[in-house]
Amino acid sequence: MTVDRNLCIGAASCVVAAPTVFELDGENKAVIKKQGGAKDSGPAGKEELEDQAIPYETLLAAAQSCPTKAIIIVDELGNQIYP
Amino acid sequence: MNEANYLIVGGGVAGTTAAETIRTNDKTGSITVISDEPYRFYSRILLSKPNFFLEKIPFDQVWLKDESWYTQNGINLLAGRQAVSINPQSKIVALDDGSKWHYGKLLLAIGTCARKWGVPGADKKGVLPLRTLDDAKEIISRVKTTKQAILIGSGFISFEMAEMLRLAGVDVTLVILESYYWEPLLDETSGRMIEKVLLANGVKILHKSEVAQIEGGEAVEGVVLKDGTKLPCQLIIAGIGVSCVLDWVKSGGVETNRGVLTDEYLQTSAPDVWAVGDAAEFNDIVIGERVQLGNWVNSQNQGRIAAMNMVGQKQAFKLVSFYTTQGFGITIGFVGNVRVTPDREVVARGSAEEGKYGRLILHNGKLVGATLINLAGELGLIAKLIEKGADLSARKKEIAGLETNLQTLI
Repeated sequence: MTVDRNLCIGAASCVVAAPTVFELDGENKAVIKKQGGAKDSGPAGKEELEDQAIPYETLLAAAQSCPTKAIIIVDELGNQIYP
Repeated sequence: MNEANYLIVGGGVAGTTAAETIRTNDKTGSITVISDEPYRFYSRILLSKPNFFLEKIPFDQVWLKDESWYTQNGINLLAGRQAVSINPQSKIVALDDGSKWHYGKLLLAIGTCARKWGVPGADKKGVLPLRTLDDAKEIISRVKTTKQAILIGSGFISFEMAEMLRLAGVDVTLVILESYYWEPLLDETSGRMIEKVLLANGVKILHKSEVAQIEGGEAVEGVVLKDGTKLPCQLIIAGIGVSCVLDWVKSGGVETNRGVLTDEYLQTSAPDVWAVGDAAEFNDIVIGERVQLGNWVNSQNQGRIAAMNMVGQKQAFKLVSFYTTQGFGITIGFVGNVRVTPDREVVARGSAEEGKYGRLILHNGKLVGATLINLAGELGLIAKLIEKGADLSARKKEIAGLETNLQTLI
């Protein structure tokens, strides 16, 4: 999962959909909360997330809620799932 | 007579999210979406972003659903049609082409319209609001030949358009009625912080000013202000706010105020009629009052909850929504209910000198909203504090200082 910082406009729909995974940084861009307290735009695998228990469907819903399609999800083989 | 189990008036984020949620939960019910714009669902929020205007974001990024999405999901989109009347007793909505739709459940996701600007000459070419994709398309094409532009009003639209126009090399004059930017929604300290970056980036600001007349032939060539000042321009963007067109809803007997009134389930006074998004004035159970909000996250989540209720569940809408923007290197954020009424108290956090300044708005000691300049990172925490109904009356001194981590208050 990656956040494209050029596309992200800080609408924060992902923060509402998955608050344990996303938050806005000081530049008003979405970042991914990783294990150990690191936060960045990714790429981040599901196993690197601070919230390990989050269902895949919630992550997909968060990506789909983005008004600029700035959250990109790929599978283990690198195939793009969304958008 | 046409039939729809679910009739949705409005094809924006609220209406489309509702259609999608209904389809997930009811595989067979017929769904029709009526949109008064001649387009499928697009990203209205992207329309005012400089990167979109300057084509750094490809234009096609604006489409959030493919045409095939509607057919694949059995969602009938009637684009370019307007609903003109509603009869909740016979459950019929009439459209502007004379057709009639009988519905099982009805959702009003009708949004708002750009407020009409009554100044003489406002009908000239090059005088535009920014509300629809067609407005954006016209601004994009006009910017290319514009040397001087005038922005009217102090809000999100003018702020974002100012950055776009400056990046495009256009001379920008901002004409505002107020004595500082975004008065009275923001306080003077916040307003001046925004003005500081506007001025530093070459935007001229005329306070307490109003356009008396727009000059030109078919297209705008300039304005005359009420004090007689003349300014040449080839483009005027009027960010003067929005209003709801509710007459047709009201005359059907659905209760309205500034918006369409709903309870916490987003149900209106009429049976089997729900309302969501910018046009809904809903019972907000987080802060215990009726509010009307105009932001993407609110519309999206209301669309989802109303849809769940339309398919037979009973879910209350509970969300602290927010909206943010950034430009010229600063961020501006609004969380929860930011209107400061006489029964509210404002606690300042940070200061203009520190470059970070927030206003935490308390009602009976409880946090209900906040405005944030350069504090976007605290938005999520503040939303959480509002949702929890955190009583901050004993901690006002602490929260004034940026060194206090808001996490410790949760």
